Amino acid sequence: MTDETLKSIDKATTELLEKAKKDEIGTVFSRAEQIKPCPVGLEESCCKICAMGPCRLPRTKKALQKERVGVCGATIDTIVARNFARRVAAGVASHSDHAREVAETFIKTARGESQGFSIKDEIKLMEVALDFGVEIENKEVKEIALDLGGRVLEEFGRQNGELRYVRKAPLKRQEIWKKFGVIPRGIDREVVEIMHRTHMGVDQDYHHILLQTTRCALADGWGGSMISTDLQDIMFGTPVPVLGSINLGVLKDDEVNVIVHGHEPLLPELLVVASKDPEIKALTEKVNAKGVNLAGMCCSANEVLMRHGIPCAGNFLQQELALVTGAVELMTVDVQCEMQGLQSVAECFHTRLITTSDRAKIEGATHIEFHPEHGFDTAKKILKLAIENYPNRRHEVYIPEYSQDIVAGFSHETINYLLGGLFRASYRPLNDNIINGRIRGVAGVVGCNNVRTIHDSGHITMIKELVKNDVLVLTTGCAAMACGKAGLLVPEAASKYAGSGLAEVCETVGIPPVLHMGSCVDNSRILIAATAMVKEGGLGDDIGDLPVAGAAPEWMSEKALAIGQYFVASGVYTVFGTTWPTMGSDRVTEHLFEEYEDMFKGMWAFEPDPVEGAKLMVSHIEKKRKALGIDKSRERVLFDMAMRRAIE
Amino acid sequence: MGDYVYEEKKNYEGKNVKALGSTFEEGKPDATGNWLAKLTTHEERLGYLRTALRYWYSNEWYGSEKRKQEA
Repeated sequence: MTDETLKSIDKATTELLEKAKKDEIGTVFSRAEQIKPCPVGLEESCCKICAMGPCRLPRTKKALQKERVGVCGATIDTIVARNFARRVAAGVASHSDHAREVAETFIKTARGESQGFSIKDEIKLMEVALDFGVEIENKEVKEIALDLGGRVLEEFGRQNGELRYVRKAPLKRQEIWKKFGVIPRGIDREVVEIMHRTHMGVDQDYHHILLQTTRCALADGWGGSMISTDLQDIMFGTPVPVLGSINLGVLKDDEVNVIVHGHEPLLPELLVVASKDPEIKALTEKVNAKGVNLAGMCCSANEVLMRHGIPCAGNFLQQELALVTGAVELMTVDVQCEMQGLQSVAECFHTRLITTSDRAKIEGATHIEFHPEHGFDTAKKILKLAIENYPNRRHEVYIPEYSQDIVAGFSHETINYLLGGLFRASYRPLNDNIINGRIRGVAGVVGCNNVRTIHDSGHITMIKELVKNDVLVLTTGCAAMACGKAGLLVPEAASKYAGSGLAEVCETVGIPPVLHMGSCVDNSRILIAATAMVKEGGLGDDIGDLPVAGAAPEWMSEKALAIGQYFVASGVYTVFGTTWPTMGSDRVTEHLFEEYEDMFKGMWAFEPDPVEGAKLMVSHIEKKRKALGIDKSRERVLFDMAMRRAIE
Repeated sequence: MGDYVYEEKKNYEGKNVKALGSTFEEGKPDATGNWLAKLTTHEERLGYLRTALRYWYSNEWYGSEKRKQEA
């Protein structure tokens, strides 16, 4: 018998796991007990890209490195590098296809062809228009948006040249990328080229494969993800601080519970609007419900939380458990991180599972395809289905009484504003406090949940260790939700968890020690925040000079690998927990973990223990502080003009 | 001033000093902190881009990236 309480640090989760066990409902947690990870796949020592294999070349054979070759003669280094490249490409494709959907909707909105969408943030429109070289003077909003939309779409199919967002990066970073020839040309091209290069008998030098992997990953961070973030901000508003609540306790016994799950915020935005529609309100009264309770799951949750304060039901490993409450009338899913197991759980209750993307169906689920041309009608249709389903509850409802306040909405622009004001917005106070040592550095802790670790434990243990050591944490995705549930995303957390220096700064500014920056595509916001720190001055002239580090202690998806690779390629030391997918090759691992530091000033590390991972990050931050000469307090000297002239 | 709470803290020289304590208002906000709504005209918005986002949209800003040769 397994103890369900040991599977998560979150009590709502363990209570529902007990219920699922009692009711004999299978979830990801129970399936993980039955299926152990394949040891060969775990170290990526298997090649199945042609029909002469699969060639299994595990370390357990005790063979020498040079003898571990496939039938075609491909070395273990080539095989592991190819597998890694393909996984990164899949992650890049996911974020970027999300971006394409958003870009197409953006264009339809500019043309007036979408229903329920508008250009909400004209400032961000002007900002992104300038990034893409669109003339903004004496032009109507619609005209600017149309011009911008066309140029954004070109980013996907461009064959040569450079992605436009690359120019937002620090100049020195651009030089490094140029030197190694990794500036992405077009988003789709880089993904396609990886698939070609990793076909049987093409690119068979692991250094070369990994360079293209880097170029492809950059097409995500400084391409697809950044496009998603920016265009979503333009259409739905740049996030500003907002109070919300999180955990399964946000579900309501006496309301129609609708969960939006997935990643693209298009339909969820319209569900928010539709849930306030008088017709919908009248219908809920007819079924004796007190209203429609919209709640989010995974990154869709982050999107509607940070723009509307819509409650967040939970993160990745809680998706099936939300249905185990018996209180969910309907769950919509679009793309990414939606378990097929949802349908089996839904069938145990009255819950309707609705797939909404033309790219993703789940056998047994109802498919109601979302198209922006009649998006609002679709949103209302879905809510009506949920309301009709409310009287069909046939099981006792059990909602754990756990929910936590959360402050989200820390976009790069908002951080800039909070630190400096409206027109004098500035990262100067952050840089100054890093230089004077109150804040030792900044860490981005992001990524998924993984059922092979204790749910949320890796995130929370690592982040508490970091903030205790005066490291300001930026977080996104499921990591952000874990922080919310643990009470780290409220300003009060500063005095409770942060070291004295960080707490002092957080209390002065009025921010939590852990800043919720959004969904997984919003890791691009972290890149921009890091760039702003560089450009503000005093901390070197490249992201690789900054006392910063990144981590994904509970990663599981290919998107996480893409994110990690673009962080590393942008100069950030990045620690992954759980498992590491190049362990099959010492040389590939050494290349990514050590040689990349000489090339890109950022490198990977693997550490399954979150406290040790945090220590690695703090140690790296200290190394960077030392290199910047800010590791020791110095006497402050006021320079006169003669002294200033002398240093030029 | 009478309503403010002061705390004893150590300054950088290790001396005890009286520091102003928390001044935040109790309770929870009922609206978002929509600071962007303060910018209402086209000129204000352009001004914001040139000043607040000067790192990218002002020709006069170099920060630590000032260099003799452009990348």
